[in-house]
Amino acid sequence: MEEQKQQPQEIKAVSEVSLVITSPLDLLFNPRSVAIIGATPRENSVGGVITKNLLTKFKGKVYLINPKYDEVNGIKYYKSILDIQDSIDLAVIVVPAPAVPKVADECARKGVKVTIIISGGFSEVGEEGAKLEEELRRVVQNRIRVLGPNCIGVYNAFNGLDTFFLPEDRMGRPKPGPPVALISQSGAVAGAILDWAARRNIGVGLAVNYGNKLDINEAELLEYFARDSRVKVIVMYMEGLKYPGGEGKKLLEVMKEVSSVKPIVVYKAGRTKAATGAVKSHTAALAGNYEIYRAMLKQANVIEADNLTDAFDMAKALATQPLPRGGNRVLVITDSGGMGIQSVDALDMRGLQVPELSESLQEILRKQLPPLAVTRNPIDLTGSATDAMYKFVLDTVLPTSYVDMALIIALMQIPGLTANLGNYIIEAKRFNKPIVVVSFGGNEYVAKFESHLEENGIPVYHAPHRAAKRCGRCMSTQK
Amino acid sequence: MRGGMNPIITKALEEGRYKLLEHESFELLRQYNIPVPDFALVQDVNEALKVVKDIGYPVVLKVVSPDIIHKSDVGGVILNISNDDDLRSACERIRNNIKEKAPPYARISGFLVQRMVPEGLETIIGATKDPIFGHVIAFGLGGVMVEVLQDVSFRIVPITEEDARAMVREIKGYRLFNGYRNMPVRDEEAVIYIITKFSELLSDNPNIVEADLNPVIVLERGKGAYAADARFIIGSV
Repeated sequence: MEEQKQQPQEIKAVSEVSLVITSPLDLLFNPRSVAIIGATPRENSVGGVITKNLLTKFKGKVYLINPKYDEVNGIKYYKSILDIQDSIDLAVIVVPAPAVPKVADECARKGVKVTIIISGGFSEVGEEGAKLEEELRRVVQNRIRVLGPNCIGVYNAFNGLDTFFLPEDRMGRPKPGPPVALISQSGAVAGAILDWAARRNIGVGLAVNYGNKLDINEAELLEYFARDSRVKVIVMYMEGLKYPGGEGKKLLEVMKEVSSVKPIVVYKAGRTKAATGAVKSHTAALAGNYEIYRAMLKQANVIEADNLTDAFDMAKALATQPLPRGGNRVLVITDSGGMGIQSVDALDMRGLQVPELSESLQEILRKQLPPLAVTRNPIDLTGSATDAMYKFVLDTVLPTSYVDMALIIALMQIPGLTANLGNYIIEAKRFNKPIVVVSFGGNEYVAKFESHLEENGIPVYHAPHRAAKRCGRCMSTQK
Repeated sequence: MRGGMNPIITKALEEGRYKLLEHESFELLRQYNIPVPDFALVQDVNEALKVVKDIGYPVVLKVVSPDIIHKSDVGGVILNISNDDDLRSACERIRNNIKEKAPPYARISGFLVQRMVPEGLETIIGATKDPIFGHVIAFGLGGVMVEVLQDVSFRIVPITEEDARAMVREIKGYRLFNGYRNMPVRDEEAVIYIITKFSELLSDNPNIVEADLNPVIVLERGKGAYAADARFIIGSV
């Protein structure tokens, strides 16, 4: 009786799992078991770093394959993936290029649905390599999905899946949240971004590099991240598409769809004629006409970044801030008249308004603020500003229908400002309007103030024009 | 999406031509409801005098030849013809000009009698075919603005009405649409319509590798816009 009772539950559980984890892309990011073909105990090799990463961090089963070893440090090595009894969700291939078609074939015979081919030495190195890539294509076609070759694969902070073969002391690993996913055409750029993000406490939960793009492409990865509820913003680094006949249109179509669900921020490198040659030898892609890429991004309602830091600046704001609900009017609060003017300039250049507040609203402000304060907007609290004045202005003006977002300048060098200001700004999130903060300075106190805000979902920028740009870009994603 | 190759393009390819003739280009645009000035292809003066009764003066007379690329350079275009006498002499003049300036092998398919479009804001709507993205449409103001200032916007086909509107408003010269000094407000919606129809035309005809509607003359609001000249380069895809 006991057994009979349990059975239906078990079936339900299985069917639930199979519903969630059916597509090869799901298995690529969320495998339950991973086989490393070309695993090795030699720590400073590519295979060695991946082996160590997965053995120490991956929350799932890891199988090591290398005919050279039987057992190292009590861990079994298999001769071939075909010798493994259990089923394998994902195979990571790190063997020299000429051996790749053979092991990929074995993976397909084993019934593995998806593989990451880390190995380089294919179309990116010339004609011989291109031939090998074609051979590989014939082996895998309609049998097993491929990420790569010539890629650094997948980083998943949630389950510890990490094929980035850059040692931990060289490349820091970011935390999972806030929920940004990265799709990078360049492996090294992906590695550098993760290191940079880890250092700055910017969360990148998922990252992927697709290398030569024999099979899985940007469009499919975008579609996957659109479905993944852990991801709120997608950042993409791209150099160029490579396949004639529809690849561009498909990407445009998918970007259009995905950007209606989640913001996408793209940095397209290879903008100039001078760079097109470099792109070609890098990932065997044509940089193409930058104007056309720009057109694609505009048409797809995708945010274009000017460089990588810019991309993450925006991702940060998009991941933490509510989108303005139809409006471009900014409340500017400052303790420096000069910074206030710079902000108005920068906002105006991006088509945002800093509306003069109504006389009645200014009257309310004047009653509480010192006589020297300027109440038109920007609200200049001057050098005698205090935490309480900022709070008063925020609580009085931000909830009204006159403004859609706030840009707060807080030069913390002023004695009247303390750590409490951070709390007041964080509390103002309850008005459900975007808030960005400009802070500038070098002392420990300033650094603490900034990280306190950032940890609580208020993006901080070190210059008015960067903050203003974020206000503008955030606004332009709403439609 | 219409099935099969457009007969105009089929005919040109069969005749080994990679450029549509003037009247073929206009005919193709007409099929997509893109406004073109009233026109007719004629063989001689008598025919010209007959068709002009329907078209109405003033007209332009152009030589139509697969072998003459720059018609104006050989005196193959005469503008602003406003009566029968002028039309007669224009025919004569073009014939003489061709004899003098065009290569002797130049075949003459006929003459195009085309209604003059009134003056307006001159714009250019162009298209190329990119190997990765397919057809891409460019929009800009005529003359110096496109060539020197590169004040052009691009979008990838298919283009929605919303895309087309963004395209028109994106160029720096857009202010000219809203009336500047004593110039009237222009018919922006008519241009947007032409861009979306042009996108449709390109989607249906993958053989088009390059196209230029130059100029597209935009009249004041409510009066429309016309493709006053069109050039299509085709290839066997």
